[in-house]
Amino acid sequence: MTKTYRLGIDAGGTFTDFILSDTKGDLRIFKTLSTPKDPTQAVKNGLALITAETGLSAEEIVSNADLCINGTTVGLNALITHTGAKTGLIATQGHTDSIEIRLGHKEDGHRYDPNYPPATMLVPRHLRHGIRERVLSDGSVRTPLNEDDVRAACLKFRQAGVESVAVSFVWSVLHPEHEIRAAGIVREELPGIHLTVGSQLYPQVREYTRTSTAVVNAYLAPILQRYVAAIDAYFQDLGARRPVRYFQSNGGLAPGNVVTEQSVYAINSGPASAPQAALDVARPWAEKNIITCDMGGTSFDITLTRNGKANINKNIDFLRYRIGIPMIQVETLGAGGGSIGWIDDMGLLQMGPHSAGSEPGPACYGRGGERPTTTDAHLVLGYLNPGGLVGGRLPLDVQKARAAIKTHLADPLGISVERAAYGMFTIVNVNMVNAIRRVSVERGYDPRDFVLMGAGGATGAHITALAREMGISKVLVSKLASGLCAYGQIISDVKYNHMAPAPLRLHGAEAAKTLNDLFTSLEARGREDLSADGFSEGEISVSRTLDMRYVGQVHECTVEIGAFDVTLSTLEDIKAAFHARHKELYTYDEPHNAVEVVNVESTVTGHLTKPEHMHVAPGKSAARALKDHRDMVFNADGVAQNTPVYDGGALGAGDTLHGPAVIEEVTTTIVVEPGWTVTLHETGTYLIEADTAPGVSRRQAALAVA
Amino acid sequence: MTTSHVDPITLSVVRGVLETTQREMTLALEKTARSSVFNLAHDYSTALFNHTPEMILQGQDIPIHLGSLIPAMKAVSDFFDGDINEGDLILHNDPDYAGSHIIDTCMYYPVFYKGELVFWTVCKGHLTDIGGPVPAGYNPEAREIYAEGLRIPPVKIWDRGVARHDVLNLLLTNMRARRDQEGDFNALIGACQVGARNLVALMDKYGKDVVQDCIEELLAMANRHMDGLIVQVPDGTYTGTAILEDAGHGFGDFEITATVTINGERCHIAISSPPQVPYFINSYEGNSYSGVYLGLMMFAQLPPPYNEGLYRNVTVDMGPKGTLCNAKPPAPHMNCTTTPMETLTDAVRLAFEQAAPAKVSASWGHANGCNIAGWDNRHDEEFVTMVLASIISGAGATATQDGWHACGPQCCFGALTSGDIEMLEHSYPIVIHEYGLITDSGGAGRFRGGSGTRWEVEPLSGEMTLVTFGEGRRIPAMGAAGAQSALTAKKVGRLELSRNGATQILTDNVIETLHPGERAANISPGGGGHGNPFERDVVRVLEDVRNGIVSVEGAQHDYGVIITDAENLTVDHEATARARQA
Repeated sequence: MTKTYRLGIDAGGTFTDFILSDTKGDLRIFKTLSTPKDPTQAVKNGLALITAETGLSAEEIVSNADLCINGTTVGLNALITHTGAKTGLIATQGHTDSIEIRLGHKEDGHRYDPNYPPATMLVPRHLRHGIRERVLSDGSVRTPLNEDDVRAACLKFRQAGVESVAVSFVWSVLHPEHEIRAAGIVREELPGIHLTVGSQLYPQVREYTRTSTAVVNAYLAPILQRYVAAIDAYFQDLGARRPVRYFQSNGGLAPGNVVTEQSVYAINSGPASAPQAALDVARPWAEKNIITCDMGGTSFDITLTRNGKANINKNIDFLRYRIGIPMIQVETLGAGGGSIGWIDDMGLLQMGPHSAGSEPGPACYGRGGERPTTTDAHLVLGYLNPGGLVGGRLPLDVQKARAAIKTHLADPLGISVERAAYGMFTIVNVNMVNAIRRVSVERGYDPRDFVLMGAGGATGAHITALAREMGISKVLVSKLASGLCAYGQIISDVKYNHMAPAPLRLHGAEAAKTLNDLFTSLEARGREDLSADGFSEGEISVSRTLDMRYVGQVHECTVEIGAFDVTLSTLEDIKAAFHARHKELYTYDEPHNAVEVVNVESTVTGHLTKPEHMHVAPGKSAARALKDHRDMVFNADGVAQNTPVYDGGALGAGDTLHGPAVIEEVTTTIVVEPGWTVTLHETGTYLIEADTAPGVSRRQAALAVA
Repeated sequence: MTTSHVDPITLSVVRGVLETTQREMTLALEKTARSSVFNLAHDYSTALFNHTPEMILQGQDIPIHLGSLIPAMKAVSDFFDGDINEGDLILHNDPDYAGSHIIDTCMYYPVFYKGELVFWTVCKGHLTDIGGPVPAGYNPEAREIYAEGLRIPPVKIWDRGVARHDVLNLLLTNMRARRDQEGDFNALIGACQVGARNLVALMDKYGKDVVQDCIEELLAMANRHMDGLIVQVPDGTYTGTAILEDAGHGFGDFEITATVTINGERCHIAISSPPQVPYFINSYEGNSYSGVYLGLMMFAQLPPPYNEGLYRNVTVDMGPKGTLCNAKPPAPHMNCTTTPMETLTDAVRLAFEQAAPAKVSASWGHANGCNIAGWDNRHDEEFVTMVLASIISGAGATATQDGWHACGPQCCFGALTSGDIEMLEHSYPIVIHEYGLITDSGGAGRFRGGSGTRWEVEPLSGEMTLVTFGEGRRIPAMGAAGAQSALTAKKVGRLELSRNGATQILTDNVIETLHPGERAANISPGGGGHGNPFERDVVRVLEDVRNGIVSVEGAQHDYGVIITDAENLTVDHEATARARQA
């Protein structure tokens, strides 16, 4: 009998990760270089690699896969390099410049910088056309749509060779008819053109956000369409049973036609699967509050999951473009293994965001890099095996690392190389802690209530130090850590966000009925889509959010509620939830003041079956996996201590060891600081726990970050 | 590099925590405030002071407040000297105690550690109203500060942890839209608390003495940094004079002069301005510091963070008391954070243009905008606000690039956000007919100034009061490095009132009443250009024409580029060469 597989393909900036699981709990990771110029090539290369290593042909895997899942950076790359489609915008007359005015703001941090350039316009001003039409804030029509204006715009677009058109009118969310009619005219005039309609893509109040989101979508749609067509055809040829599912930045899967229509959902999908993976890895401990940290070569990505739900961002600037749609919050920091240590104009030691990348790479790679990096600090501190990374395939030169740190940091600061290296390590940790605060403290959460999970190849060196700094006492690191995001994608569900504007004050039976009807109709659409996709009623779940504020406030806070009937009495529960959330975030609430809703959203999820966990055979004793001792530094004084090194591959389930220690896996190294105990769980996850707290000092450390 | 006994690693850590603290205070303010002036305009500052009190960190927030909290904090701390207790919270707005203008309300929270005053967390924000005869505070008819609103000298609103509700009630009773003002008080208080919480945790972790030593070193480092920039400027005396136009007061144009004297690492800036006038454009000393520091920052171009160490070797003489830039009571002053501050900044910038020509950039469009107020029939309630979208002007060009469109005014330097038009129409009973860039409004130059904006409004719910403020309606933003424009009329601001089929153009500050069916368009000026416009690449001129940033006429007159076919952008190269030689 042939096995059933599930295949995940996660394209990253440098590597494309493949994860192949079967129904028996066998999980394997493969890596191939990404091919940004022809993204489908990396997929073919990876499948060839799998064939070479396993003997399974691409046809055999794909035709026996229940699902093939792809996370792609095609959209992201097009946005970074400004190589999207030639796009035109049809907007309300008088408001065609909102995407260029950008609310009149220059990004913070560049206030007095004379060289910081304006954002590149995805639609230049000559391809933006104003149409005579106007809807007012109560949804009434002030000026009817002038159809001739729309046709005139189409003529200009045709002459200019526009490939994709966005239509976005003021208050279209309260009266979509003008946009719909304008879209109809565009279809007549420019048959076959890509069309994005603001009120359909992102039906939420805020003209600038909606127009900008529509423009980004229109700019990417033709690119995504070409990519999806190529991938879908390739997998169809290989005998795929079901269409390929694409991973979206909302943390859910969608088929190719949805990704083409709603390309903006695909832009930051890669790291967005971390929360899903984390919940699955942590399942044996029933942990639902998890912070994930993913440190690669150039960046450090953080996500936060609370009560099993990931933080969501809406209405944010992404690569300098305002995007409204909900995306899993991924806080990214320029702090990777290649991040360079330097001394700033003020004389302070800084780490990153400049990175030595993979070429020339850290000084210790011996490929011409002369600047000291995080990896060089790891090596000098004894954390990394000088014999080399990736099982010896990449030897490391300690002397080069020391020389780089001495010349650029230790000597100028007047301290020893070891102290400078530990300083670099400490500053990376502080930068990470400050970034973790942005997903936790700034959202009103105390990081001590969370488990810390390591992902990516380089996180292992920092993971116990980070936990110590944050006052977190429980850490999980999976053997799959270096490919955690690819893993997250193959265990994700199909997910659709349906939104509606709801500018109303939260009191009275009428408001309750309006909200109830809105949610019900949004969810009906979601259920319909999922049912067409083969999901049964029992496999579908719904969650709801409302963006609320006190009347007079300008910003909303998002409150999640259950899928209950909204009535006069449950309206009070919704208000209470808002007051509580406001207090959690901002230290106070105003229960006597009126509350209003701006936008609502329902997330409709179709649940897929999950593959089995990995299974590790029971061990006899960690001592059997002890392979070496090295001098390592765990203190600001720079003094080294002799520390055991364990071979992760030789540890069995239930084996326990105490810090200080280092565990070497093929694609990652875990540093266990003094005061921590590690046990390998049978699902292939290291559980790392703080030894019983020595009382006051630990509590103080914890309070310092709360 | 570091010269102190402080551990360099701990120093970096402390700096990181201070910045995070300031950021979290800012976020708390921004997300909870009612006043769009402060949560959208970022017209607020959050700052941390040590016990002396010296400013140890200010966010990169808005230049209007750059430094003005420094003298204000000192005035407040002097006022309550010997009577500052744990759990106190002090409120103040009065310019005679170094406040900026009275609509900017400041909260000062002393942070105690083990019974000892160690820090202050301070917030300042622009409310939507401060009482007085004219909604939103800007009263062009005021001849004294008393006709502008409520003056609040330093007053405790918490005394040893107990809120003084009677005092708060006294203040709020005197303000319009009380709910919003009360909400903004809460937001300011919340932000101070967030800051204090973080600072106490920092001292718990590293110890008070270590933290204080690190902060001392951070101040010294900032001092050395600014010294290093100033020492590169040749010793000497440099003078800049800028013209402040008469925006309706009838006293004529004024000159403001800055004299910058460089001596080694020392920089002395002396300001000379005419006697104060009975019109709302006087600036008290605290506010004037911001104008001077912005001019200095346009030269220094420093990235954040900022602390008072930057100014240790910078001395300022604001001129005699009773002058426009060093006003005394009862001078009316409400317009001061824009007018005369931006002209004061221009004077300092011009002085530095001589001192360090390579670093100079052009002036940004000055603020000229409007406030609106009226009755909202939809909810049967009062509304009042400053319209931020109305003051978004063009940025000045720099030595390396065109000015940003729609990024000013100069006094805000891009810190503003103007607010989504749907949100404005949701909050106030208005329709915004236009919010867009203006052709030919950016100053001509080898690098072009950014475009100004046009913001056109019509009331929907009965009559609406519209009050204008600012200037920049006759004199365009100054260019730099030889930039000049021919079509100057298109580069200045104005108000266009459309009633009964006729359009009236106003360049004075006025109070007008608008009815449904009538429209007011506020036009904000473009930024100044940089360098000779005839040296601008013809291709870039054509790109501007294609995008409607420059007209065919503008290409000819401002840039000497002769376009013979507007549709295909055909250039007569010979005629262009001739025009550019002239």
